[in-house]
Amino acid sequence: MPIQTIFLALLILPWLSAGLVALLPKKVQVNASILLAGLFTYLAFQVGHMPENTTSFPWFNLGGKAIVASFWVTKSAQLLLLLVSIVAFFVQIFSKSYLAEDPNIGRYYSYLHIFIGSMTLLVLTDQIYIFYGAWELVGACSYLLISFWHQKEAAIKAAKKAFLLNRIGDIALLFGLVGLSQYFGTSVFSGMHGSAPAMIGIAVILGGIGKSAQFPLMSWLPDAMEGPTPASALIHAATMVAAGVFVGIRVFPFIGEEAHLFMGTIGAISLVSGAFFALFQNDIKKALAYSTISQLGLMWLGMGCSASLFHLYAHGIFKAGLFLTAGSVIHYLHHQKATHHADAQSLHNMGGLRKQLPLSFIAYLIFGAGMLGIPFTNGFYSKENIAGFLWDSAQHSAYANYYYVLLGTLALGMGLTATYMCRQIYLIFLGQNRGGHILEKSHTEWLQVIPISFLIFLSLFFWISMNPMDAHDSVFLSFFHIANYHIPGFWLGITAGSWMVGLGITYLTRRWVPTKNYQFLGFIWPSAYRLAWYIGQQMQRFDARIVDRIVVKFTELQVVIAHLSAWTDRHLVDGSVSLIASTSRALGARLQTWQSAQLHRYWFWVFFTLVFILIYLLY
Amino acid sequence: MGNLSYIILLPLIASLVVGFGKLGASYARLIAIAVAGIQLLILAKIALVFDPAQAGFQSTESFDWIHLNLGSLGHFVSHYSLGVDGLSIGLILLTGLISFVALWNSKDIHEKLEGYYALVLLLNASLMGCFLARDMFLFYVFFEFMLLPMYFLIGIWGGPRRNYASLKFFIYTLVGSLFILIVMLGIALAYMDPNETALAFPNLGFHDLSSIQTALAAHEIAPNQIVHSFDLQILSDPKNCQPNNIFSPQSGFLLGGLSGRAWGFWLLFIGFAIKLPLVPLHTWLPDAHVEAPTPISVLLAGVLLKIGAYGWLRMAIPFFPTEAVDAASIMAGLGVLSIIYGAYNALAMTDLKKLVAYSSVSHMGFVLVGIASFTPEGWQGAIFQLLSHGILSSLLFLMVGVLYNRTGNRQIDNFSGLATKMPWFTVVSGIAIFASLGLPGFSGFIGEFFSLMGAFTSTHLTPIYAILGGLGILLGAGYLLWTFQKIYLGSYFVRESTWELPDLTILEKFSLFGLGILSIIFGIFPGIIFELSEIFVTNSLNLLFH
Repeated sequence: MPIQTIFLALLILPWLSAGLVALLPKKVQVNASILLAGLFTYLAFQVGHMPENTTSFPWFNLGGKAIVASFWVTKSAQLLLLLVSIVAFFVQIFSKSYLAEDPNIGRYYSYLHIFIGSMTLLVLTDQIYIFYGAWELVGACSYLLISFWHQKEAAIKAAKKAFLLNRIGDIALLFGLVGLSQYFGTSVFSGMHGSAPAMIGIAVILGGIGKSAQFPLMSWLPDAMEGPTPASALIHAATMVAAGVFVGIRVFPFIGEEAHLFMGTIGAISLVSGAFFALFQNDIKKALAYSTISQLGLMWLGMGCSASLFHLYAHGIFKAGLFLTAGSVIHYLHHQKATHHADAQSLHNMGGLRKQLPLSFIAYLIFGAGMLGIPFTNGFYSKENIAGFLWDSAQHSAYANYYYVLLGTLALGMGLTATYMCRQIYLIFLGQNRGGHILEKSHTEWLQVIPISFLIFLSLFFWISMNPMDAHDSVFLSFFHIANYHIPGFWLGITAGSWMVGLGITYLTRRWVPTKNYQFLGFIWPSAYRLAWYIGQQMQRFDARIVDRIVVKFTELQVVIAHLSAWTDRHLVDGSVSLIASTSRALGARLQTWQSAQLHRYWFWVFFTLVFILIYLLY
Repeated sequence: MGNLSYIILLPLIASLVVGFGKLGASYARLIAIAVAGIQLLILAKIALVFDPAQAGFQSTESFDWIHLNLGSLGHFVSHYSLGVDGLSIGLILLTGLISFVALWNSKDIHEKLEGYYALVLLLNASLMGCFLARDMFLFYVFFEFMLLPMYFLIGIWGGPRRNYASLKFFIYTLVGSLFILIVMLGIALAYMDPNETALAFPNLGFHDLSSIQTALAAHEIAPNQIVHSFDLQILSDPKNCQPNNIFSPQSGFLLGGLSGRAWGFWLLFIGFAIKLPLVPLHTWLPDAHVEAPTPISVLLAGVLLKIGAYGWLRMAIPFFPTEAVDAASIMAGLGVLSIIYGAYNALAMTDLKKLVAYSSVSHMGFVLVGIASFTPEGWQGAIFQLLSHGILSSLLFLMVGVLYNRTGNRQIDNFSGLATKMPWFTVVSGIAIFASLGLPGFSGFIGEFFSLMGAFTSTHLTPIYAILGGLGILLGAGYLLWTFQKIYLGSYFVRESTWELPDLTILEKFSLFGLGILSIIFGIFPGIIFELSEIFVTNSLNLLFH
């Protein structure tokens, strides 16, 4: 097949798949969907090893300018495309088992395909309009998937919150993108070179805050965990939330250092606060959501350079794995007699699950190792790379001290990360069951085991490099044009220290389980919504009582005037008409005297008239 | 007589036949829908022969109509002249389509059917006349005439407070048209029609436009030899103005700090703003919408509101270009006020139909912001938004109608979780709501996006207007999602257990999904509409800044 055809097929296939899956009979829906996702993954691999190129299709004309639908295959787009297709494929397989009893599973699979289509559009497009469009579309997919169980009150509230908080960011992005196109005089990313003013760069970065659930628009992500777990793995862990990082990667070359530092600062705050709040979650999915916020903060700390991209990929794999593993734990608890009616996501009903779920335990350990950045996992390379980037930038920048501060925050974040991850593993799998439930050993759900095994496989070191401690000879990195930044050896000591801190704190606090889910900045957004509603009420009152009433009163005034004038008409005008009639009769008699050729009287009237005219002209 | 005349005459004659033919109610509906269908076919033919690359009016028709000798004031002529250009082509297509949809969904009207269908056809004819007239007097006649059927349609077939609502609508619109009338008479008296003057007085020996305009400026044409006309193109050229007139750009006339031309602009602006409706002239709209029966709401929101923006683009701005550009900031400010104020009010509504009505106010604000940018993007976005809102507001009102037909109630709190009982209805309402909140892939996004983008990049405005307009997008998402969540999602609940909620009938599916699909098509291929209005927009803006 020629490359153009593959490319077009890749763009269109998910949309066709979504329609097809929705229309197919229930029996074949799921298998057909998985097959189509497989086909998509195949096409993504075809596009994945294309050379970098741009393609465009005519779209429409506006104000004499031709707007083309242009696409740009870059290394970062290819890597993200591969990540999306792989994770989506595994999630589709996993979902077949996870959602087996749901009557609306076809709708779920359709949404997944719509999401894949939007995400493909987002990573491949070169045109800012399509980029913004795809950006909003992935947000809408997130809305649809969070509210998939639309009878659940919490789910639909979470969906609405996610959409609205995303929208706040979207508006900043809109103006940022339009500002970029205005500044560079082109609406395609590939045509932007140079350095844009800091304000425009910051607007674009602000746009990413909503999507990546960064500080302060973070509180939608933990709520979004009301959606089906495999969907959370795909969109709220691995791919969609990474779109905020991706926009940073896209604009990295031309937004200037101030905007980079802004991005890094937001990332640093999110890294620390996300990791901190992950410690205070009772719900394992919510803990993972805070962990995602924190890890996305780490990518933001990379400021959109290639180290961000690398961590995006590495995190996408191990976080999807963590979510799927958590999903299989929840699935298991939900299907146990003892815990069927208990909250299957609560830490209170867990503990000691290593006996019943040994495979999940191993998977969690390996993915967790990736999160901690322990050697022999891909997370090790990507985390060191971000630290390397900060160190490297500090060496030749006017803001060197600022970079060191960020590096310090990274160390703090790593310590917290190690703590919550170790604690989570301990609280789920080690010790004894805290609910006192007697659980049976699970039978193996192959449709869950296979995707997780593949993700374990992908999160190991040898894909990147055969040297577990250093990736300088990596084929992977050079293929995707990812720079290998170096940091002096002391950093390895800090990394190792963070593991020790994590293990130590876990040991010391092993008996403490959070009783509820503590929300970071969660209170702001509901009150913001209430405030908007309140303003609406006030405006409505103003509208009805003032604006409308003025008009009504004014009209009523007309009626009053009408009555007055009717009265005047009857009594005065009518009266004056008879008055005029009688006066004119009298006047007639008077005027008759005019004709008496008395000249002096003529003169009097002419003079009188002239004086009147003069007075009129003067004033 | 050409196709354009048929578009107007066909419903006019059909209206007489239906109204006075004593054919019986069942025929009335049949004839009305058939006429709307035939009209759509004629419109399709006009659209097919329409050449987007050609500037100015096409398929023109012109007949002498009124000829008055006013003695020392000169002569007055008015033509019955019709034409279609890049601005009106989209709007007449929309009118045809929405009229058809409204008639199609009139099944729930049960009283005085002949009268109802006759009036809707009459309304259709006068709407078409408004968009097709090339003569301001002719436009005004149609514009005024439109009031009559609308007044009766709301006043007879409306809800409980129909008398109040229809009277309010009538008075508001009448005041608006009064402003338009003043400017129309003033400007027509001030301007000379060079072509007609040369024709009427061949002895003056004028051959080309510029020589006659120079002669006018040099006081060489006696006032009683001037022929005044209402031709829109003549009135759009300030060179045709008599010197020393208050509408002349050179006159030093000032009243309240505004020149005569600025007065002309603002009076026309306000006259049409009432129709749009622009905050604070909007309070007739929620009442009219709430009381009007569903198909009439559809026509009102889908087509009637568009005449306001049409009047700006066709008359107010071309007649007084410099004054309009000077007013850009105020216009954009009013547009932003409409967007935000309408959205906040919608947020406070508990009646679904009122919510949709206020959302119309908010969405039409984008049109004004786009126009005030005076950029090609903004104007294209504004025209696109007119058409897109025509489709989407019709869809939203039909959605309200579906609920109201089944239950006689439209309080948002009275419904919950309809998704389980009415899946098709939920799907199409989801389309309507997501399209209205400006989700890409639907038409609403394109209109709002380009209106705001025009405002953002305009040299006449500061970016703050666009940013505030962006806030409106956020609020729009707020109230629409809130509605969707309350009514469709959650567990099933209706206030009265006797309410039956069967899913959409095949008739409803046809019109609702048709509009939804149209919105998706325009959202993905906006070029279809942009292409039609491209030449109009570039030419108009060139004329403004030449």
